[in-house]
Amino acid sequence: MPDNKSTHTPIAVGDGAAIPHKSDVGLFTAWRIAFFGSIVLCLFLAFGRPDQYMAIFMFVPDGIWVTFKVTLGAILLAIVFGLIAGLGRISGNRFINGTASLYVEVIRGIPLLVQLFYIYYALGRFIKIPDILSAIIAMAFCYGAYMAEIFRAGIQSIPKGQMEAALSLGMSRRQAMRQVILPQAFKVVLPPIGNEFIALLKDSSLVSILAVSDLLRRGREYASETFNYFETYTVIALIYLIMTLFFSKLISIMEERLNEGR
Amino acid sequence: MKILRTIAATAALLAAMSLTALAAPKSIKVATDATWPPMEMVDANKQIVGYDIDFLNAVAKEAGLAVQFKNTAWDGIFAGLDSGQYDAIISSVTITKERKAKYDFTDPYTSIGQILVVPKTDKTSKTIADLKGKKVGSQIGTTGAMEVKKVSGVESKTYDEIGLAFEDMAAGRIYGVVCDEPVAAHFALQKKEYKEKFKIVGKPFTKEGYGIVVKKGNQELVTLLNKGIQAVKAKKLDTRIHTRWVK
Repeated sequence: MPDNKSTHTPIAVGDGAAIPHKSDVGLFTAWRIAFFGSIVLCLFLAFGRPDQYMAIFMFVPDGIWVTFKVTLGAILLAIVFGLIAGLGRISGNRFINGTASLYVEVIRGIPLLVQLFYIYYALGRFIKIPDILSAIIAMAFCYGAYMAEIFRAGIQSIPKGQMEAALSLGMSRRQAMRQVILPQAFKVVLPPIGNEFIALLKDSSLVSILAVSDLLRRGREYASETFNYFETYTVIALIYLIMTLFFSKLISIMEERLNEGR
Repeated sequence: MKILRTIAATAALLAAMSLTALAAPKSIKVATDATWPPMEMVDANKQIVGYDIDFLNAVAKEAGLAVQFKNTAWDGIFAGLDSGQYDAIISSVTITKERKAKYDFTDPYTSIGQILVVPKTDKTSKTIADLKGKKVGSQIGTTGAMEVKKVSGVESKTYDEIGLAFEDMAAGRIYGVVCDEPVAAHFALQKKEYKEKFKIVGKPFTKEGYGIVVKKGNQELVTLLNKGIQAVKAKKLDTRIHTRWVK
């Protein structure tokens, strides 16, 4: 953890899929083979073996949409949770610091699957939250804790001199944090957040246990009535693979753009 | 040499043991999804119990089989049969045309129907069609789920376990649950937390028969089990099991 380092070293969090980088030739080719290979395979299955596979492709699209909604909603909310908790973790205020640290410790100590059940069914007894929203909240609550650590490390990776300089220019701590530290920290935390996004996309398949009709659940529904387990899970795996590879690429392009602007 | 002799002796012993095993009743592994009370469930002692369990034990006794139960999640219970993880399924499986195309069934051993459970606050709904525009829950891959999907305009929501569907209805996220009638009665009429909240509406609206499922082509086991079922029915053991579990 580059806590007290004074350089802009990116934080390595090996959670998501490997995001291809232009300099990394081998990985770039692997990405291409996997991405275009799975698209070609999907097309081949859908049109080459329509009687077995076409029906599956017709059955799951609304599930893809739900998976996408859950992932996007959860990552946005997790960034908010993470930023608040991350700032709390470096706060000088003992109470705020303690609360944020407790949140991070407790959440990181409970499996995501258990948290999903807990927020959905246990809290469902007291508050009424629609199913997709409670799935999003549960995912975001969990990922927010991991995100908090990323933000904390990101903020702490910015040289102390920056804060000191900002303060000596007459800025308040809050101003300095908002206008000097955080903009730089965002660049540092973007790669790990990208990783978290990909990891969250994959973990979103867990919400299928909450009867949320995501991609995996649609697949399970199809398989459980047709008994075509092999065909169905082949398609589901391919669609997840295409999605994660597509977003990895998107994130790496975003990163390159950000680095150019530096 | 000594080692070799020990190995030979052990091998002989093992062979003798397997011979005696052959003489004992043929042992079969049977999968059941023990989340379907009162038909199959896990009791306080972590034992798999219920109507189906008692019934199959009685059948096995008549047919000269030894049964070993394996608690298996419903979603994928058929896939496990495909891959040979067990020899049969007894898990309130309705005999349907689609299932019969892929698997072999014994003769039906009991008949039931699908029924609708709604919150007590719902004073008007009588059928699934009355819940148009609302979410109705059922267990994934069951005949209940198929009935819900048949009704257009109703949003089908499928759960891994039927208990989770009832819990979701208690939380107000869905407005009806469709499942086998004995299971509906267990949840809506006997469970303390739900008795006040839910009610069964109307009568069962399908006619279904449960069968024991085996891998396609396993005619030998089907014949054995059918013989057992006939014997159990002839001795009226099934009515005794029925009164024990289904209230």
